[in-house]
Amino acid sequence: MSIRVLKQGILASVQSLPRNGYRHLGIGSGGAMDAFAMQVANFLVGNEEDATVIEMHFPAPEILFLEDALISLAGADFDACAGEEPLPAWKPCFITKGSVLKCGKPVWGSKLYLAVRGGWEAEQWLGSRSTHLKVAAAGFRGRTFQKEDVIGFANQPAVSGKQISGWNITVPGLPEIYPEENRIRCIRGPEWSLLSEISKEAFGKETFAISNQSDRMGYRLTGSPMNQDQPVEMVSSPVDAGTVQLLPDGNLIVLMADHQTTGGYPRVASVLQADMPALAQLNPGNRFCFTIVEPRQAEEALISSKQNLQAIKERCLRYYQKHNPH
Amino acid sequence: MKTKVPLIHSPPYKISVLNETALLVSFGNLIDTAINDRVIALHASLTRDPFPGFIESVPTYASLALFYDPLQVRINRAPHASAADFVESIIRQRIRSLQAEEGSVHKNLVTIPVYYNGEDLEWIACQKKLTSEEVIAIHCARTYRVFMIGFLPGFAYMGAVDQRIAVPRHAAPRTKVKAGSVGIAGSQTGIYPFDSPGGWQLIGQTPLRIFNANKNPVCLLAPGDEVQFISISKEKFEAQYEHPGS
Repeated sequence: MSIRVLKQGILASVQSLPRNGYRHLGIGSGGAMDAFAMQVANFLVGNEEDATVIEMHFPAPEILFLEDALISLAGADFDACAGEEPLPAWKPCFITKGSVLKCGKPVWGSKLYLAVRGGWEAEQWLGSRSTHLKVAAAGFRGRTFQKEDVIGFANQPAVSGKQISGWNITVPGLPEIYPEENRIRCIRGPEWSLLSEISKEAFGKETFAISNQSDRMGYRLTGSPMNQDQPVEMVSSPVDAGTVQLLPDGNLIVLMADHQTTGGYPRVASVLQADMPALAQLNPGNRFCFTIVEPRQAEEALISSKQNLQAIKERCLRYYQKHNPH
Repeated sequence: MKTKVPLIHSPPYKISVLNETALLVSFGNLIDTAINDRVIALHASLTRDPFPGFIESVPTYASLALFYDPLQVRINRAPHASAADFVESIIRQRIRSLQAEEGSVHKNLVTIPVYYNGEDLEWIACQKKLTSEEVIAIHCARTYRVFMIGFLPGFAYMGAVDQRIAVPRHAAPRTKVKAGSVGIAGSQTGIYPFDSPGGWQLIGQTPLRIFNANKNPVCLLAPGDEVQFISISKEKFEAQYEHPGS
């Protein structure tokens, strides 16, 4: 039970939940860039949230299914097809042996997640199966996919195509998670006060664009340069995904999943974890504005996003329990 | 040996919000052993005796980030109050009890052999009006504390380097520094765990693999450890070489 990579695409890797507990050794949490889409992809095929998915960037790999499989796609819209058949995102799909999954063009977003019932076979390292590219550990051989790779999946689908065709699984609330108007909420960071008054003013008003120098480590932003009243030399201190750092040239960088654990640049803001999926789906050239909120609102937003995920999970799993009591 | 400093009052510190899953405890903005002791003692205390919802803590030179799951914190302790406020109160309690913790932090002394053949060794000697042998002798003359690990998995920031051999990093970083390279940047010294771009002034290379994903622990060094460098010959370096392939 496996798939074979016919064309490698770029940066396709096995991802899952973050790896916690090793940041003090310089090992970041990593995991899927869009943790919402990653988890929902799993729920749609009846998996737990920590099952492995394939994170695809565009151009995505071409994948031959060597066995029937129950799969789901979530996140970006890359115009995915199995043969001539379009594969809709955000719902379970039955794919037959010999089908080739291809992605035609990037319609919306930048990270597409492919889940399979039972999860993809992957190596675990330090408590997570998420690929760590720098250390070359976990996931599929610690690296991105290459042509001819064969990736196994754990279980045969215990659910048939006929069964799922009658299911009406929908994922509500997508427009709230990926709003059309790109407003990314953030809170002020520990070094917000180092920004000049003019920059503080501009921060919430300016439009920023994702630059070409953006990857799984961080998104560099372009826009009017920000400045400090008095540059302060900082000793290295912890950072996290979503931390917005002010670089010496006045540009901002938002740290993403594969960020370093520590940094020496002023942390002027922090993107809400609840808004990281929307940010993760932006492409180079896309523009957005920051909206500053208070820490208490950030905590409430995180709690509601976790509760929302839990509700989606329960809704999806009910279908699987009903049809497969064991 | 470290002497225990009695703390009659809690040391000055500041708690700020890194984000909605992490608070930042800052004891200053300095490379200082006494400050770093507090950071590492707080890290040890939290790791040894975590509270419900605690995820991990990250010690750095003078500050520590404490990661937590707000949902778990609220379920366990404060269903309606803010998780951040609750975690902040825990940090304040912990810091008050640090006095007892500080002396009890276990510190390993790790010996690291180095073949001092670095590309910048002669340049440093020249700048500092020393011979290469003197630079090596000065680098080996004291033990260094691992203040923190960051930048790369297993990259230990150590110090403080004798001012006689302290040199600023390269303005333009090298695109590739070999794994095991030992460098100096200002008063810091460090070892590159992987082939990586890097701007530190290179004085030598250790044959030891200081980061190995397949070993437990994965890192040879941990925050708070003391490191003694010893100079070895080219022959010994080759005999002890642990890095795969390359």
